[in-house]
Parts: sequence; C-alpha cells; structure tokens
Amino acid sequence: MADNNTFDAIVIGSGISGGWAAKELTERGLNTIMLERGFDIKHGKDYEASNKPVWEYPHRGGRTQQMIADYPRLKRDYPLNERNLHYWASDKDNPYAETKRFDWFRGYHVGGRSLMWGRQSYRWCEEDFKANEKDSIAVDWPIRYKDLEPWYTHVEKFAGIQGSYENLPQLPDSHFLPAMELNVVEKDVAAKIKAHYNNKRTLIIGRTAHITGPLGHSPQRTNCQYRDMCWNGCPFGAYFSTQSSTLPAAMATGRLTLGINSIVKEIIYDKETKQAKGVRVIDAETMQVKEYFSKIVFLCASALNSAWVLMNSATDIWPDGLGSSSGELGHNVMDHHFRVGASGEVEGFDDKYYFGHRPTGFYIPRFRNFGGDKRDYLRGFGYQGGANRNGWGREVAELSVGADLKDALSEPGGWRIGATAFGETLPYHDNKITLDKNMKDKWGLPVLNFDVEFKENEKKMRVDMKADMKEMLEIAGVKNVREYDNDNAPGMGIHEMGAARMGRDPKTSVLNGNNQVWDCKNVFVTDGACMTSASCVNPSLTYMALTARAAAFAVEELKKMNV
Amino acid sequence: MDRRELLKMVAAATGGVVIGGEFFLAGCKNPDAGIGISTTFTESDIAFLDEVAETIFPKTSTPGAKDAKVGQFMTVMVNDCYEKKDQDAFHTGMKSLNDACKTKHGHDFMKATAEQRKELLVALDKERGEYQKTKKKEDPNHYFQYFKQLTIMGYFTSKEGREGATNYQPVPGKYVGDVPYKKGDKVLTGLS
Repeated sequence: MADNNTFDAIVIGSGISGGWAAKELTERGLNTIMLERGFDIKHGKDYEASNKPVWEYPHRGGRTQQMIADYPRLKRDYPLNERNLHYWASDKDNPYAETKRFDWFRGYHVGGRSLMWGRQSYRWCEEDFKANEKDSIAVDWPIRYKDLEPWYTHVEKFAGIQGSYENLPQLPDSHFLPAMELNVVEKDVAAKIKAHYNNKRTLIIGRTAHITGPLGHSPQRTNCQYRDMCWNGCPFGAYFSTQSSTLPAAMATGRLTLGINSIVKEIIYDKETKQAKGVRVIDAETMQVKEYFSKIVFLCASALNSAWVLMNSATDIWPDGLGSSSGELGHNVMDHHFRVGASGEVEGFDDKYYFGHRPTGFYIPRFRNFGGDKRDYLRGFGYQGGANRNGWGREVAELSVGADLKDALSEPGGWRIGATAFGETLPYHDNKITLDKNMKDKWGLPVLNFDVEFKENEKKMRVDMKADMKEMLEIAGVKNVREYDNDNAPGMGIHEMGAARMGRDPKTSVLNGNNQVWDCKNVFVTDGACMTSASCVNPSLTYMALTARAAAFAVEELKKMNV
Repeated sequence: MDRRELLKMVAAATGGVVIGGEFFLAGCKNPDAGIGISTTFTESDIAFLDEVAETIFPKTSTPGAKDAKVGQFMTVMVNDCYEKKDQDAFHTGMKSLNDACKTKHGHDFMKATAEQRKELLVALDKERGEYQKTKKKEDPNHYFQYFKQLTIMGYFTSKEGREGATNYQPVPGKYVGDVPYKKGDKVLTGLS
C-alpha cells in the first residue's frame, strides 16, 4: 500500500469505466486510489431492496408527491421510484442549469450507474468508427475497430456477456456465455421478419452483461436467477457491476485504496513538467480539502462530470480548463434518442406461456444506411423490445366488478409485442455544456449548464424509427399495431457521450487516440466523454474496452518513462 | 430491453385502467400541478373502502380485497401519491357512492347486502366507463375509477394477492420461453 497521499495512479470515479481502470491498473502493478464522490455500497450487504417484495413498499414501489417535489429533474422518468431512490443523485444537492432541457440522471456512490444500468452490451462495428470520416462531419475517430477488437475480447471474457452468435457486420459477436432464450412469440416474429427481409433484418436476444455460465476467474458470481430485480443490486452478482466484478478483482491485488466521499474539484497541473501531479478533493461530509498525488490520472467520472473536472482544472493556464485549447471541451455532447416505435397484439399463442422473469428483451440490429440501404438522413438505429402476455393491469372491458373480474385478472391476458428504437445522434459542436458560475451545488462548486438539443437528422430518423417497426410487426402478422413517438429530451437515454472527444489533431479534439489529454499526457479520459460519435448501440461495453486499452497503454508509457 | 421501456409498454397495453397502476408504471402525468395535501381518513372510512374493495374483489377460493387490506392501501396512496384534484375527487366520491346506494337501495352502503352492493357497483362501473370516454383529459376521473383501479393494484401488489391468486415466483432460477398454457393457469408474478 502506498504511503500518505501518494500513489502511482489516481482513478476518478468508480462506475463502469472507473472500476475497469482500477482493475487494469492494479493488476498491472500500480498502487492506485479510486476516488468516489459519494457513499459506499457494499456488494450484497447494502443491496437493501434486492430481496424485497413489492408489498413491503408503502406505495408499492411508486412515487409520492413529496418525492416529485424533492426531485424536479429525476421525476422526468422512471428513476424516481420508491425502490432504489438512494441510488440516484439528489437533485437538491446537485442542481444544474438548463439553457435547454437536459435530463441528467446520476449515480453518486461506489459503483455509480454500474449498479442501475440497463446491462445491454454490444460491440461497435467497423463502420461506426469510420462514420464521421465517411460523412465528413465532426472529426474522424483516431482508432478503428481493429484497435479495439482485442480489448472487447478482454473485457467480455471478464465481465461475462450472454448473447447469440449471429455473424452480423453491423453488430460483431462478442465472446458469449450461453444466450438467454427468445420466447415462443419472439421466435415466431423473428422467423417471419428474417424471411420477409431476406436476412437483411434480424431479431435476436438482447445481449447483456449477465452470467449464464461459470466464469472461472470470478467464482463469487452466480448465474442469473431470472428475478428481474437487477437495478436494486444483485445479491448473486449475476450482472456486471463494479461491486460484483472489477472492484473485487482490484482489491485482490492488494494495491487498491478506495476513497469515498471524495469530490474531485480539480486536477493539479504542474506548469514545469506540463503534467498533472495529482488531484484536489473536497470531502463530501466534512468539506475538508485534501490532495492526492500520482504519476497518472484516469478521469472516469461519467461523461459530463469528467468534462466538468477538466473545466475546473488548470484555469490559470487555460481559462476554460485543462484540455480546452482546441475549443472542443464541453462540446459535441450526445445521447441516444429513443421512445419511438410500435407495438401490437399477437394472436394464436393463447396455449403458450413462459416461465421466469427474463432481464432482457430482444434486439433488432441496425439495418438503415447500412449494406446498400440509403436514406435521407445519416446513421441508423436499433430496436429493443419484448413480447409478453398482459398481466393484471390490463382492461377487461366485458367484466365489471366481482369474482369474475378477479379471476380473469388472476390469469394472463393476450400476448403483446413491441419495441422502441434507439437512434444515433450526431456530434454537433453547438450541443454543449458550460460552467454556470451563478449556480452552486451543496459544496459551493459551480454547476453545469446544458445547451443540447436533437436536430434535423435525428428528427428525420424518427420517421423511420416509427414506421419501420410498424411495418415489421404487420409483416409478422401482429394485429392492431400502434405506432408511437413519445419524444424525449437529451439525457433521458442515460447514454451521455462526448464533451471531451478523441481525435487525430490537438486543434480539433481534447484527447488523442490513447485517451490522453493532448495538453496533459498523463491524464486519461476513458468514459463516455471521449466518444467522437455515438453509434446507435448501448455504449458501456465500448467504455470498458477503451478503458482497458488505455490502462495497458498508460502502464507501458510509465515503464518507458514517457508520462 | 431497458426496464423502463418494458414498463411503458405495459402501461400502454393497459390503456390506463389502473390509476394507481398508471402512476406506478408511467409516472405522474402532471407533476407540476402541486403537492398533494395530506388528508385524514377515519377508521370508518377505511372500513367503508374495504367493503367497496371487497365488492370489487370478493373472497372466493382466493383471498379477497379485505384480506389484502386494500382499504388501508387506498388511503396511503390517496394521501401520499395523488394530486389535490384527484384527492378531492376521491373524497367526494366516497360520499357520492354512499348517496347512490341510498337512492338505489334506501340505505347506507355499509348496511347494504352483498348483492345490493354488487348491483350498485355494476351500475357505477357502467357510468364510469361512459364518463371516462367523454371526459376532458385534464378533468379528474369518475370517482369509481379510483376505487376500482386502486383495488386492482392494491390487491395484486399485496402479499395475499400475489401468493394467493397468482403464480408467484420470486426466484424462478431459469427462463423458459415456451411452456404450455391452459385456461385457468395463473398469471406469472415476481418480487417486483
């Protein structure tokens, strides 16, 4: 263990990216401190809600008017609930300003949003990394699929990803654990879609970071038990989180120190060496300021908070912060746009049901603007959906009150199937976050102001996102298909990306191809902030791979005395 | 699929029948309308609501609404989760329901027989159905909508309802996507 406040490496943030940085750096021999701004949540022990049935909640898991008043931002979507409310950052303590509406749902505790994430895990494809160059927009990614491929393999073998081998160019296969099953209706619809579109469109099981078979390196984890209680924290360790996976691995090296309640207010920049020498931290409980020193810093505080830390660092040299010399820090903020799709009723399967609460649905990989298809917008989208039998909440129009109604609702209703699209958002320079000097958080620190919107390309894409699902369902024989577009503000996808993008040129990007800040080579940003474009697939697996790759690089550079 | 989308799909599928459920699944539709004012329910109010709920979901070979303490549950939801206009409509509705009983059967709901109660609620449910079709979006619901929806939600999220009337599987241990189903088999439920 390192002495005092000096370590080989500092990792800022303990979510998916921070956890991976801690694991890789400690396993490669570095004494590391992982700083988390919030409180500790111990694996298993602190998952208070993980075995709690719905009836033990006074409001059965819902939300009260008091909660709505206390959480003016979080109330905008599902996270405001009675079950795992303490996993979501307090809006009161952590306000932010909105030039335009932005739904920022944060997890300020050990594990961050790795505890509450959707667990959907997909590789990017070759074309994703070439997209900006091909379309001549924003800047080109400094890396290609082949650079990341071995790191996808590396993280998948450790995290455990279940899924089916499909050999699709737009959605490369991972190293999979046995796939969860599509149900009987999903299989039927999948076969009809496949036949109609001549294999150009496919419906597959949603790939997720759940284990469905043993992982030799992590005997403490148990297979998914199909309770669908994931977001409370899994006592079986069945899904990947910092707590279930990377934290125990890092701790096992004996080289990790975990610092909780540690809000990093800035990176300490040394003008002489042109390197970072550490970080300055506020203790969230005592307000005491502390400093930690290290040879390298991994900034993994979540996309927008990582940009915030940079904006608050080295302002005596660069008024807009460390990494701002390109003029791109805080810009090119992205999220996926979604909540648009279709659903309908399925006939002919009333003698079929399923057993178990599967924690994933199906996935329909991108087919637009791919493989010869050409639309009047750029990029594409994928669908996440599911088929199930209606439960007790359904309307039974022919029954009024009494035993008949109770009996009817005690049985499953008819089958429904539906899906919502997740679309790629382009990186726009003017979609930005800035420091709002007038508003302060609980600790007196300036907060972010959001000026981000979806634009024409996204709006055009949504027309297809809606119509294509309707068409596919109708082709599959689904009845009473209803399309919908429920709109969403940026942020609601909880896939924040950009704000400190990677690139090939220090004049137009914040980070180089190894996630180093161009202006300060011993600071690595490997979370969503680094993303140069957004793809349409869920981003977390890519953060894992980028982090592991950058960590390996950083350790090599340290050995060569380059940082 | 993200859990939130599944929930919304379910909410869409229910067509908003379960008011509590609608709130439960899709969140508050108009969260800026103000904080609910906590109102008091008396013991006799709870007894009254229990009897209304029991008429909607009577005890048979499976537990009834009273077994699931639905009356008490309704008061908690109305006090803590409802907006003011819905609270008002609920309270007024309790009186309206009793008045309707007096008109129809000549005495209070609490004094009515099970048959009289059912007859009344069947009539009110019909009235509810027609009212809900034509009401403006911002108007409160027909009062019987609240009673019916909270009964359904309260019952199926209770221990008694889950364990007694559904195929409650807290730890299935596996997922099988194709199992035979025959009429009468119970709906699958879990911890959440």
